Amino acid sequence: MADTAATAGAGGSGTRSGSKQSTNPADNYHLARRRTLQVVVSSLLTEAGFESAEKASVETLTEMLQSYISEIGRSAKSYCEHTARTQPTLSDIVVTLVEMGFNVDTLPAYAKRSQRMVITAPPVTNQPVTPKALTAGQNRPHPPHIPSHFPEFPDPHTYIKTPTYREPVSDYQVLREKAASQRRDVERALTRFMAKTGETQSLFKDDVSTFPLIAARPFTIPYLTALLPSELEMQQMEETDSSEQDEQTDTENLPLHISTDDSGAEKENTSVLQQNPSLSGSRNGEETVIDNPYLRPVKKPKIRRKKSLS
Amino acid sequence: MPPTGLEPARMNRKKGDKGFESPRPYKLTHQVVCINNINFQRKSVVGFVELTIFPTVANLNRIKLNSKQCRIYRVRINDLEAAFIYNDPTLEVCHNESKQRNLNYFSNAYAAAVSAVDPDAGNGELCIKVPSELWKHVDELKVLKIHINFSLDQPKGGLHFVVPSVEGSMAERGAHVFSCGYQNSTRFWFPCVDSYSELCTWKLEFTVDAAMVAVSNGDLVETVYTHDMRKKTFHYMLAIPTAASNISLAIGPFEILVDPYMHEVTHFCLPQLLPLLKHTTSYLHEVFEFYEEILTCRYPYSCFKTVFIDEAYVEVAAYASMSIFSTNLLHSAMIIDETPLTRRCLAQSLAQQFFGCFISRMSWSDEWVLKGISGYIYGLWMKKTFGVNEYRHWIKEELDKIVAYELKTGGVLLHPIFGGGKEKDNPASHLHFSIKHPHTLSWEYYTMFQCKAHLVMRLIENRISMEFMLQVFNKLLSLASTASSQKFQSHMWSQMLVSTSGFLKSISNVSGKDIQPLIKQWVDQSGVVKFYGSFAFNRKRNVLELEIKQDYTSPGTQKYVGPLKVTVQELDGSFNHTLQIEENSLKHDIPCHSKSRRNKKKKIPLMNGEEVDMDLSAMDADSPLLWIRIDPDMSVLRKVEFEQADFMWQYQLRYERDVVAQQESILALEKFPTPASRLALTDILEQEQCFYRVRMSACFCLAKIANSMVSTWTGPPAMKSLFTRMFCCKTCPNIVKTNNFMSFQSYFLQKTMPVAMALLRDVHNLCPKEVLTFILDLIKYNDNRKNKFSDNYYRAEMIDALANSVTPAVSVNNEVRTLDNLNPDVRLILEEITRFLNMEKLLPSYRHTITVSCLRAIRVLQKNGHVPSDPALFKSYAEYGHFVDIRIAALEAVVDYTKVDRSYEELQWLLNMIQNDPVPYVRHKILNMLTKNPPFTKNMESPLCNEALVDQLWKLMNSGTSHDWRLRCGAVDLYFTLFGLSRPSCLPLPELGLVLNLKEKKAVLNPTIIPEAIGNQEAAINPSSHAQLVGFQNPFSNSQDEEEIDMDTVHDSQAFISHHLNMLERPSTPGLSKYRPTSSRSALIPQHSTGCDGTPTTKPQWSMELARKGTGKEQSPLEMSMHPVAAAPLSVFTKEPASSKHSDHHHHHHHEHKKKKKKHKHKHKHKHKHDGKEKDKEPFSFSSPASGRSVRSPSLSD
Repeated sequence: MADTAATAGAGGSGTRSGSKQSTNPADNYHLARRRTLQVVVSSLLTEAGFESAEKASVETLTEMLQSYISEIGRSAKSYCEHTARTQPTLSDIVVTLVEMGFNVDTLPAYAKRSQRMVITAPPVTNQPVTPKALTAGQNRPHPPHIPSHFPEFPDPHTYIKTPTYREPVSDYQVLREKAASQRRDVERALTRFMAKTGETQSLFKDDVSTFPLIAARPFTIPYLTALLPSELEMQQMEETDSSEQDEQTDTENLPLHISTDDSGAEKENTSVLQQNPSLSGSRNGEETVIDNPYLRPVKKPKIRRKKSLS
Repeated sequence: MPPTGLEPARMNRKKGDKGFESPRPYKLTHQVVCINNINFQRKSVVGFVELTIFPTVANLNRIKLNSKQCRIYRVRINDLEAAFIYNDPTLEVCHNESKQRNLNYFSNAYAAAVSAVDPDAGNGELCIKVPSELWKHVDELKVLKIHINFSLDQPKGGLHFVVPSVEGSMAERGAHVFSCGYQNSTRFWFPCVDSYSELCTWKLEFTVDAAMVAVSNGDLVETVYTHDMRKKTFHYMLAIPTAASNISLAIGPFEILVDPYMHEVTHFCLPQLLPLLKHTTSYLHEVFEFYEEILTCRYPYSCFKTVFIDEAYVEVAAYASMSIFSTNLLHSAMIIDETPLTRRCLAQSLAQQFFGCFISRMSWSDEWVLKGISGYIYGLWMKKTFGVNEYRHWIKEELDKIVAYELKTGGVLLHPIFGGGKEKDNPASHLHFSIKHPHTLSWEYYTMFQCKAHLVMRLIENRISMEFMLQVFNKLLSLASTASSQKFQSHMWSQMLVSTSGFLKSISNVSGKDIQPLIKQWVDQSGVVKFYGSFAFNRKRNVLELEIKQDYTSPGTQKYVGPLKVTVQELDGSFNHTLQIEENSLKHDIPCHSKSRRNKKKKIPLMNGEEVDMDLSAMDADSPLLWIRIDPDMSVLRKVEFEQADFMWQYQLRYERDVVAQQESILALEKFPTPASRLALTDILEQEQCFYRVRMSACFCLAKIANSMVSTWTGPPAMKSLFTRMFCCKTCPNIVKTNNFMSFQSYFLQKTMPVAMALLRDVHNLCPKEVLTFILDLIKYNDNRKNKFSDNYYRAEMIDALANSVTPAVSVNNEVRTLDNLNPDVRLILEEITRFLNMEKLLPSYRHTITVSCLRAIRVLQKNGHVPSDPALFKSYAEYGHFVDIRIAALEAVVDYTKVDRSYEELQWLLNMIQNDPVPYVRHKILNMLTKNPPFTKNMESPLCNEALVDQLWKLMNSGTSHDWRLRCGAVDLYFTLFGLSRPSCLPLPELGLVLNLKEKKAVLNPTIIPEAIGNQEAAINPSSHAQLVGFQNPFSNSQDEEEIDMDTVHDSQAFISHHLNMLERPSTPGLSKYRPTSSRSALIPQHSTGCDGTPTTKPQWSMELARKGTGKEQSPLEMSMHPVAAAPLSVFTKEPASSKHSDHHHHHHHEHKKKKKKHKHKHKHKHKHDGKEKDKEPFSFSSPASGRSVRSPSLSD
């Protein structure tokens, strides 16, 4: 029996010790209380004349005792709150006990019984030093409309909003810097890639990789690439045309714009150009009206006419 | 009027009668040109012409016509077969290959050859015999129809085929063909009377592929399919009498754009370019309106066509009712810089439609009237379109150009009169070509001729007022248009020809003024006026004593007698004085109006009535003069050098409102690098009302001043803070604003300022680091995303700025230029250039401006010794198939390389290209660039100058360029620049050659000539060698002193001396000297290399020599003798020389050094024989910088 108890105890303590090690203050408190209760149960058992007890029975009794006391506490709290208090009074306890069917009158006598065992007060373990919560700044005092008994405000950091997302970079300088280096990096990478994958020329005989020049390649129709705006430029032009108003919002450019809004003939001309498509477009409809020899249909050879005549 | 003959005709002309007698014994009335077949693949043309002529003399039995290149199959006159002879003396100018190589001889022969076929003298290459059956017919002066069948195979001139080698049909490939040439060149593509004075009506027929369009002169009557429907025939009629020289043709798969404003105007461009064409021509109608308004005359032709073609001969060519333009003038709306240029081209061509095409000229000596009038009305258009400032700026520019050219070459004669007497036969004896014919003229001369012509027209306008001037033009035009509407009447049609006398008569009729003195001065006489002015203020008399001197003895100058306007800005206002410049009067007293300055507060009235406040503290308290201008209206073709105090120039710059005055003062201020000048220039730069071109030139002046003031300059580099204020962000001054080129004035300034800033130099003569960083930042932060306009020109100028910042490399050693010893600044620059150049391959910029700038910058880096000098890159970009601007830039670099590195190989490569390149313009341009930047000149000895080259060039101009007048004249120019007028000095003297042959076949005369040749050659290196050398002159002179001392302590080493004696003797030994013509100038060099091989201890010495020669390649001694002294002082080491041995051999240095000394001593001995010219050479052997030092120093420490 003892063996089993021992083994059980050993097993139990084993698991417990395992859990003990990973304790936190609340667990510690729980265990200490339980140990005290066990001592109480054991002394009561001794009082009652038992010489030994199985671990399991002690545990069970302890459990029962704990439940009982807890119930008293809970109930007492209810009573006390029922009367709009926060601190239970003796009468609360009495009522509770009464309620639980306990004869309160027997209690003083029981307490004074001769063969009672006095349990030494549990060793005062140092209140586990709860690490002081980080106090960031002063707790706010209650505003006047909150009664002083209300709990204090928690630390400010718990409720003060400190946005933590990274602010988008809006500084003009940084933006420009970034755009510039980004473009440069892209261009460099792109050209290097092109240079690596194709033929290159070099300014230095001994080194072809540091300043690789993409080899010059003659075009069959060189003027096309030279004169026609690239797709990128076309795209840009469309963008700038459509977003001409947006463009004005660029604060850095604004003064310049204002001063030059009445620019000279060139601008007139560009506006002419913009009209042009519409002009020619509108003319397309009346193109038949335009008598230009190059637009006239090509005549059939005369021979055929002769044939039809003959 | 046959009996009148030639004599009365000349009389008529003298009297100024408008009648014109043809030099030909017949009159052409109508010509049919029919081209049945054009084969793009074979580049051939088949067709016929039919000329309708009326004999004007009874005994006409031979008819001379012009025709070149054409193969003539058959000639029929009135359906009768006619015999013909074809003889073109211009094909080969000097026959029977005499060994004559002097240019005088050639020029005379060439002029004679051109005369022999000159239609204006009644001559022609094609002589047709009138069949005897027709003689009777001719005697009755009845009409003759001459039918000539001809073909043209692979024409080298006159017609230019552009056939891209891609897949697809000719139309899909964008193949096209067009007529081109310099002056009257129509004879190159069909037989005709190729004269501007023989007018007739035309019928033109061209049968082309159905996908093609044939554009030609006159009205397109109809287009008809051929029977197989695969081709169509374009029928043109030109009812307005027109000279054959004004007939043109362009055939290609053109896109057609009918002008939306004027339906009778049609524009043509190559496939895919239609959007550009739309934009480019959208402005043309305004030019039309302008000309029609000022001339009060409608455009004479019933239609007008513009054709934009590739590989153009010239940018603008005007023909009757059509103009042919270079396709490279097309641009989109995003392009700023090209827009005004293109518009100017359009306006120019249109002006020539009136004067040049519609109104033609009687003879070559009347050409100036046409060029003058068209240039003048073009100027009026400029004034109206771009404003008075631009106009005056342009006039000044043109004036400066013509003045510079005339002073350089000795005069441009507008109206040469020939045939008077023998002594007058060559009115331009100072020139190396004849000015009798347009075809013998140097292209540059012709350009300047046109420039002078319009300036003289402006002078006439000044005299008779613009109103009268325009009336004269109107009169000419209305007479011509009356005449043109007449049916054939020989006398009437000549109204369409302008002559000098007729023009002058019109002027006197209309204005009643006598402009004879003016004409005599500027038209009948060549040369410009050169004034030197200075003044003193006489306080007592309150008189300005102005002294005006003239230089009329230098070539290209003439004496001026007549009125001269002087404007004096005084405190009380601006006053004009007209001085009478007379024979002997130098001093002119001009009374002043204001008595010094009494009331300081008063505003000062300017010429234009404006009153301004001025800070007068700078001026002389005793003098009321603010500034003085001589001939402010540019009413004399002159150059003025005027002396006035710096503060006067500064006042002139700040307060004179005339842009010309501002520009003059900017030029003058370069000589006054003071804080006051700096302030004046900065103020101008900042002034937004100021003309942008003035501000741009102020930038460059400011850079120059800053460099002169470098030791006292305070504050940031010139213009930096200004640029920052104007174009950079307020918050972050190192970042330039995102591009916005809406204001063109600021755009041009923004482009120019960094270029000028890059010219700044610090005390070490380096570009300040701050400036370089600044420019690199501009490039880095350049952001064009929100710009309406393309920034390609801006970026290109930033690269130019980078190139401008490059200073000569300091070479620490004679090391090979490698990456490792690259200057860190240059590395940054190279980084940018590489990136830009590579990006161009992916995103090409308009006209590849960026590539062009990159290539130029690379050449600058090479020239300054940062990057190994190497033409390979440029040669690859110069190939056919690159955009023409790129090719020209690359070729320019190769030309420069040829000069600096004296590379025979590259010169040959260039000459080869001149002969074989498919694009005439490129060929012309290479010659032009070689002439401007010649590898050597006539006064200079060069290893490149040898007999083979003389023969080559001679052949080129003698026969190789007969298909292109311009090219031939270009070759003549080059020959003149290289060898001068007389026999090239590198040729053995013919008489002596004979003597030598008789003797032992060895050149005995050589010993006296060789050393001189060497000396000359070395001297020649001097001027051409790089400026960087200057920096090393001083160290050298020290070292030479040291050397002299050293020489005394030298131990003799007999063997060594004798060895070298041998070597030095060799050039004068007869055995070697027979190779002289090709290699003797380099005689010393092979010895050097043998020395190198033979005596290793002397290597350091030789290596220095070789490094200087800088061939940059390993060369065998033999090769060295062929391409000697490629004098790039900075350039690369030969591989062989033992630069690495320097360190190993330090202990030898002492010894070596002495040997070296001995050699020098030795040379000194020889020097006496060699006329002392060696001396020039010696500095060089040490000028190659520090290696000489490093070799020497150990020995000194010993």
